[in-house]
Amino acid sequence: MTEQTQDTAGSNWNSEKFTKGLAKRKRAEVRFRRIGLLAILTALTLLAILLFSIFSKGYTAFVQTYVTLDITFSEEVIDRNGTRDPEELRLANYAKLVQNALRAKFPEVTSRRDLRALFSLVSNDAADTLRDMVADDPDLIGRTVPVSLLAGDDVDMVTKGYIDRAAVEDDRRVKDRELAWLDILEADGDISLRFNRGFFTNGDSREPEKAGIAGAMVGSLYTLVITMLIAFPIGVMTAIYLEEFAPRNRFNDLIEVNINNLAAVPSIVFGLLGLAIFLNVAHLPRSAPLVGGLTLALMTLPTIIIAARAAIRAVPDSIRHAALGLGASKQQAAFHHILPLSMPGILTGTIIGLSQALGETAPLLMIGMVAFIADIPGSINDPATVMPVQIFLWADSPERAFVEKTSGAIMVLLGFLILMNALAIFLRRKFERRW
Amino acid sequence: MNVQIQAEKSANAGMDVAEEFVIETRNVDVFYGDNHAIKGVSLNIPKHQVTALIGPSGCGKSTYLRCLNRMNDTIEGCRVEGEILLDGLDIYASGVDEVLLRARVGMVFQKPNPFPKSIYDNVAYGPRIHGLAANKDELDDIVLTSLERAGLLKEVQDRLHSMGTGLSGGQQQRLCIARALAVRPEIILMDEPCSALDPIATAKVEELIDELKENYTIIIVTHSMQQAARVSQKTAFFHLGDVVESGPTEKVFTSPEDERTQGYITGRFG
Repeated sequence: MTEQTQDTAGSNWNSEKFTKGLAKRKRAEVRFRRIGLLAILTALTLLAILLFSIFSKGYTAFVQTYVTLDITFSEEVIDRNGTRDPEELRLANYAKLVQNALRAKFPEVTSRRDLRALFSLVSNDAADTLRDMVADDPDLIGRTVPVSLLAGDDVDMVTKGYIDRAAVEDDRRVKDRELAWLDILEADGDISLRFNRGFFTNGDSREPEKAGIAGAMVGSLYTLVITMLIAFPIGVMTAIYLEEFAPRNRFNDLIEVNINNLAAVPSIVFGLLGLAIFLNVAHLPRSAPLVGGLTLALMTLPTIIIAARAAIRAVPDSIRHAALGLGASKQQAAFHHILPLSMPGILTGTIIGLSQALGETAPLLMIGMVAFIADIPGSINDPATVMPVQIFLWADSPERAFVEKTSGAIMVLLGFLILMNALAIFLRRKFERRW
Repeated sequence: MNVQIQAEKSANAGMDVAEEFVIETRNVDVFYGDNHAIKGVSLNIPKHQVTALIGPSGCGKSTYLRCLNRMNDTIEGCRVEGEILLDGLDIYASGVDEVLLRARVGMVFQKPNPFPKSIYDNVAYGPRIHGLAANKDELDDIVLTSLERAGLLKEVQDRLHSMGTGLSGGQQQRLCIARALAVRPEIILMDEPCSALDPIATAKVEELIDELKENYTIIIVTHSMQQAARVSQKTAFFHLGDVVESGPTEKVFTSPEDERTQGYITGRFG
C-alpha cells in the first residue's frame, strides 16, 4: 500500500529537498512583503516631510500682527470745516491721524528719517481702517479711542519670530531702533496677533500684510465652472457615443487612440492652443477666467472621456439586453439605464479631472492669467488669476512675508483638493452598485 | 431543398388545419464574421404552444432564438440570411422597425436581469416607453395585471416600490417575465430561463410557462431534457447549427427518427 502511494504521488513530502524549497519560498514571500512595506513607509515619510514643511511655514499666514494705538480723531485733521460732509470725510488725510498717534506715543523721535521708520511700523492700510470707522460712525470725531491697526510686514515678521534679533544690524531689515520701539509697544501690551481675515477677503497686494487669496479663489471658481460646463457634457456625450453607438472601424479606432494620447499631452501645449485659438483667432479677453476655463476644458476632456468610457463599460450587458429586449431604442437604453448607472463613475472621473484643472498653472501662464491683479474678478470676462498661479506669483516675490503667504495659499489649495477628492470618494461609495 | 420545404409545408397544412404558424423561418443562415453558426434552418413555430429548442452547447439554438427578435443586430459582425416571417411578414425586410418588433416578440434571458429600480418601475418601463398607458391608473393596471400573470403579485404586493434587484433569483426571473408581459407581446422568447434558478423556483417558472401558453406563443431554449419534456408541445433538436429533428415533443422524446437525437436525449453525448 505504501509502495503504491509512493509511486502514484511521485514525490516525498518529507524529503529534504522539498523542505528546503518550501523554506526558500517562504523567505521570498517575507522578503517581498518587507520591501513593499518599506516602499510605502518611504512614500509616507516623504509626504509627511512635505506637509510638515508647508504647514510649519504656512500656519502663521492665518494670523496677522496688529498694533493698538490711541487714535485721536481730531476735527482739525479730518473735518476742518466741521460740516461732517461724507464726501469731505472720505477724502480726508487719515494717515495723519496714525502719524499723530505714533508721535504721541514716541515723543522723543523727531528726525525725518526716524519718523519715516516709525510710521512704517503700521501698514498703510491703517488709514483705510480709520476712514471706514468714521464713515460708519461720524460721532467718533473729536474723541480718542484705542484702535487696533494692521502692522507693517516687517513688524509682523518680527512678532512671528522670522527675523533674527541676534544678527548684525546691517544684515537685518529691521534696525535696532525699530526693535526698541516694538519692545516698548510689546511691553505696553499694544501688539497682538489676530486671525487674518484679510487673507480670505482681500485680493492680491504689493504689501504682504494686505495680500489675500480671495481674488485667486474667485478666479479659480469661475475658471472651474467654465471648465465643468464645457468639459462635462461634451466628455460624457463623447463617451456614450463611442461606447454605445460608434461602429467599430478604423476611423473610430483612430479617434480612440488620439483621445488616449491627448490625455498625456503636456499641459503647456494646451495653453499654446488656447492662446492661438481663443485669444488670437476668437479675440476673447486676455487673462479672463472664460479663456482659462476653455483652455482647461480642452485639457480635462480626455480625462473625463476615458473615465466615463470605463464607467459605461462597467455597466453589465444584461442591462442593455433587458432594455433592448423590451423594445427600447439604443438611445433610450443609453439614457434611461446605462447613463444613470454609470453616473457615479463618471462623476468621480470628472471630479478628478477638475481637481487636476484646479491645480494647473502652465497653460494659464500662456493666456495671460499670470498678471498682477489686485481686484477680485466680478465676472468671467474680468482679468483674474487662479490659486496655483497666485502661489507661483507670491513664491516669486522678494518680501520675506510672502514666504508664509505662499505656504498658506498652498494649504488652502490643498484643502480644496482634499475636499474635491473626498466628494469623489463619497459619490462613489454612496451610489456605487454591484451586480 | 426548397421543394422539400414546400412539400413539408403543404403536408403540414393538409395534416392539421387547426395548427397555425406564427413564425415561419426558411433557410436561415447566421454568420458571426467567418463563423457559420446556423446553416439553413427552416422551422415553423405554432401559435399558442410552447416550442422547446434543445441541443448541445454551441449548436446555435440561442443564436436562432435571438434572430427571432433581431437581438443579434446588437452583436458586431453578425449577419443573418434567409427568411424569417412573423405573421407572414419578413422581419429582416428593410423598413421593419426592430424596436417595434421587440415589443411584439418579448424576451427573457438566462440570468435574471431586472433593472436596478423598483419592482413597479421595472414592469412599468416597457409600457412607458411605448406609451401604452394613457394615465397613471392605466399604468398601475398594466403593472398589476402583468405581475399577476407572472404569478408574482401575491409575493410583492406590499413592496412594489422596493428594489427589483432585492428579490430572490426565482422572483427576479418572474419579474423579468412580468416585465416582458407588460408590453403585451405575442411571442415570448426564453433563453434558458431556469438555468440560474434552484429546483423550487424552476418549478414555479415552468408552471407559469404552462399557464402563459394560453395567450402567448412561447419559444424556450433549454439544456434540461426533463424541462423540455415537461413544458413543451413542440421540440426542435439542434446540432452543429442545423435542425436535426423537429416535431411534437412526445414523438421526439419517445421515438426519435434521427440517431443523433436518440443519442442526445438518452445522454450519450452533448
